[in-house]
Amino acid sequence: MRRPTTITAGVIAAALALTGCAGSADSSGSSGDGSGAVSFVGPEDPAVFAPVIDAFEAAYPDITVDYTQVPFDTYATTLQQRLSAKDDTIDVFAVDQPNLAQIAAQGFLEDLSDLEDEAKAATSAAQFDINIYDGTMYALPVWNSTQMLFYNKDILDAAGIEAPSLNPDERWTWEQVAEAGAQAQAAGIESGLLLEQAEAYYQLQPLIESLGGGSGITGDDMLTADVTTDGWVEAMEWYGGTFESGLSPRGVGGFQTSAVFTDQKTAFFVGGPWDIGGFADADFAWGIAPHPSFDGGEAVTPTGSWSWGVNTASTNKDAARTFLEFVALDAAGNLASTETQTIIPANTEAAAEYLPKLEALGGDNSAGAADLITYEIENTAVARPVSIGYVQFESIINAAIADIRNGSDAMERLTQAQQQIEDAWSQLR
Amino acid sequence: MTVSAPRRSSVQRRSSQRHSGRRRPSTRRSVLFIGTTLLAAVAGIAFFAPLWWSFVNSLRPGSETFRYLNPLQWQTFFTLTPTLDNYTALLDTDLSRAILNSLIVSVVTVLAGLAVCATAAFGLSAFRFRGQGLLFSVVILTFLIPFDAIAIPLSDMFRDWNLQNTFVGLILPGIGNGMAIFLLRTFFLAIPEELVEAARLDGLGWWGVFTRIYLPLSRPALIGAGLMLFLFQWQAYVWPLLMGTDREHILGPVALSNLQGQFQVDYGVLFAASMVLVLIPLIIILSFQRYFIQSVTTSGMK
Amino acid sequence: MTSLARGAGTANRRARSRGARSWMRGPAPVALLFLLPALIALIVLRLAPAGVALVDSLYRESLLSGTTFVGLGNYLELFANPDFQNSITVTLLFTVIVNPLQVAAAFLLAVLFTRKAAGSRFWRSLVILPIAVPPAVSAVIWSVIYRPDGLGNGILAVFGIPPQSFLTSPEQSLMSIIVLLSWIGVGYWMMFLIAGINDVPGEYYEAASLDGASAWRQLWTITFPLVRRPLAFVLVADTVSNFLIFAPVQILTKGGPNGSTNLLMYDIFTRAYTFADVNKAQAEVVILVLITIVIVALQFRLLRTED
Repeated sequence: MRRPTTITAGVIAAALALTGCAGSADSSGSSGDGSGAVSFVGPEDPAVFAPVIDAFEAAYPDITVDYTQVPFDTYATTLQQRLSAKDDTIDVFAVDQPNLAQIAAQGFLEDLSDLEDEAKAATSAAQFDINIYDGTMYALPVWNSTQMLFYNKDILDAAGIEAPSLNPDERWTWEQVAEAGAQAQAAGIESGLLLEQAEAYYQLQPLIESLGGGSGITGDDMLTADVTTDGWVEAMEWYGGTFESGLSPRGVGGFQTSAVFTDQKTAFFVGGPWDIGGFADADFAWGIAPHPSFDGGEAVTPTGSWSWGVNTASTNKDAARTFLEFVALDAAGNLASTETQTIIPANTEAAAEYLPKLEALGGDNSAGAADLITYEIENTAVARPVSIGYVQFESIINAAIADIRNGSDAMERLTQAQQQIEDAWSQLR
Repeated sequence: MTVSAPRRSSVQRRSSQRHSGRRRPSTRRSVLFIGTTLLAAVAGIAFFAPLWWSFVNSLRPGSETFRYLNPLQWQTFFTLTPTLDNYTALLDTDLSRAILNSLIVSVVTVLAGLAVCATAAFGLSAFRFRGQGLLFSVVILTFLIPFDAIAIPLSDMFRDWNLQNTFVGLILPGIGNGMAIFLLRTFFLAIPEELVEAARLDGLGWWGVFTRIYLPLSRPALIGAGLMLFLFQWQAYVWPLLMGTDREHILGPVALSNLQGQFQVDYGVLFAASMVLVLIPLIIILSFQRYFIQSVTTSGMK
Repeated sequence: MTSLARGAGTANRRARSRGARSWMRGPAPVALLFLLPALIALIVLRLAPAGVALVDSLYRESLLSGTTFVGLGNYLELFANPDFQNSITVTLLFTVIVNPLQVAAAFLLAVLFTRKAAGSRFWRSLVILPIAVPPAVSAVIWSVIYRPDGLGNGILAVFGIPPQSFLTSPEQSLMSIIVLLSWIGVGYWMMFLIAGINDVPGEYYEAASLDGASAWRQLWTITFPLVRRPLAFVLVADTVSNFLIFAPVQILTKGGPNGSTNLLMYDIFTRAYTFADVNKAQAEVVILVLITIVIVALQFRLLRTED
């Protein structure tokens, strides 16, 4: 239809974005900035988005943004219900990136293909790809994430363990971490290691992929489950073993895991950039190191966070898009979205400005965080698979991870999960 | 009107005389009294301990929540340095607005719900007519249906009626409560026939029988049903999320859940918020306790 | 003693039905008038959406290939699914344990709190209070109690009992959930039984005391039969409520470990809201309602044959 013009506009926009004036590029769009009220739905505290909304309203006085928070634990399900009811009280909404395919396949997300070039220029490759479903771009990435190894320096010193290096080339292996953790336990610490989201696919995918196990979803339509590969079984057996041996504590879930680290009950902790802010007030010395990989395996880190998209049922799409572009493509706008929340901006330029501030949060403890995060995002990040069946997949795999943590046999449990996923997906076809 | 309110004093006198006729009544009675008190206190404290723990932690910074779990120590259940920081932090959230909304929704639900459910229970207990059993079965059936499961089709209906983000949309589902009807019917059935017959002979209409005999004689049941209706709304979570919760219509449980972010949770603030949310039902339960001592029906008539 | 209490109940009832018959012509329209507002509310707010759910359960809506009529297809698939079979087993096991346990505990507590004791009203308020705790918070509190290094094992250690696995083992998880739910619900159900016990005329106890009946005998021969109706209410209401519970499971165990806490209502909730497989979820709802009807009907029958 109007593809030629938009592509030209896109190229110009991309060029402008490269020179850092993406914010002023919107006006060249064919549809105009729009005006009126934009209602935006997300899972965060209103205080998190207040700065970006203020900045946006200052830049576009004709548009106001009303934010509604939906609790995180029921965000995806609530959104699913309201979007499928063609609820036009939602204009812009935050999309948990791995859920994008399912939402897009149901037609709830506006096609944003005309912004593809701008988006590609504004963010990392992994963060760009994750918004594409079936060849079409449906959302713009706003936040990004990664994981790193935190260690309690006081505990390591007391146990006579040399702290892991910050250099990605000298990345510790999981075997090394387990050994050092056990050593710390021998010196009197309750636990050696704990992964923050101990029962989440997001957290375990890098272990599996490090051993070449694959994401678990394959096939042309990305609806073939493949969770019993050698890599899956080996990684999950190792993971189950860390709980069996007592290296990691069972039964500590949700948000109680990071407290295990701050209460000095574990030597090592795998967590995200938000923990740098969370650990800032700790009264012991800690440090960060690259996310471990398996001995002889590949270095893989988790990535991905939130994108934002426009509801197809929205009655104020122009203004909605203007807001979305401001938050995702304008470096200043994107940066404003991370003013109160410790999270990595998806916009590369915003991230470059943000990361040093993040690093400073933890003082000496988190020295080197900015370079480490940048390195991981560019080199080792592997996104979660894009599939319309991801939601079911994740729920079933998380249950399997939890069971393996509590002592189930990895091979048996994964075989069961394979069957459960196939059952759940049969209703999608 | 020949019917009078239950004579409470006579009941109390009778129950205190229960154990007379024993050989050493006073010693035995005081041993029993102390024993019962001890058991009652142990039960009360056992049920309260988990709440007390979260109350103590609402007075502590969230970073200390899990510090004194095991082995048990006095700090597990007490703190020498209480702080109200968690409570002041709540002032920046939507919680006060949400509590106000929840109160509006719950109180309206209780008033309207009691009117609807008590009349229905009266219709099912004071009369005998063909089809009554069937109607009672229908009432039972309605509360066997899991509300959270039919919330999806019901929310579609409500959206068609443009009730999203309205108080009416939030209140309505709480009004028809089959379980409350069942409860009230149970207690209405205990009201002696003779009482009604006498009142009818005195020329009292059915509405009069309902308002002047059944309602005053069923206070504990009405309070129970009221609490049932109240808690349905006070703890409503799935439904308000489906109906859309803009900031003008946010309810308590949703605001509480909003405190649990996706990256971190400040358990101190979370517990503070839940203490605030528990406070109102606590006041209600405590203040209605005195009605529970009344013996209402049989003895009041004799 | 038994004959006195029972006799009073039946005589009352017989008089009622005899009297009722003579009004037969008159009262039905009036009764319906009293019932009308509730019936409208229940039909619109409960039965109509339930009807929609019933119809939905006969269809299948696929993300990629649209809506088709499948008849009982969803039901057949469910019954062939080992996870669903397990869910039914777990739910029935749960029902058999949790309901007698909670009703018995509620009854004993109600008896305790209707005896004379210092501060009785205050103590019983504390027992009722947990029903008012938001489910999200009670789940957090109990996750802390059930942590292997948590309060539960701390208290057990005081009594010299070795640490238990609680929610992390399939053997203890369901029982742990039952204890949690009892903490929430027992005081609430107790409240209705207290109201019932207070309805028992004091004369019965006086007569029994004069006959020399022990307190324990009085409990079983007077209190128990005379609070039968409130007990029936509590048993039925508690059973139904326990069928519909899912929040603690959702927050604490997600049905695990190894499906040991995968209650039907949680399975329905996950299927409807997480998997967005609404049609099959509605089929599960229909099955759940049918199971509940059977059990509740059974309870009504049992309680009826008792007199």
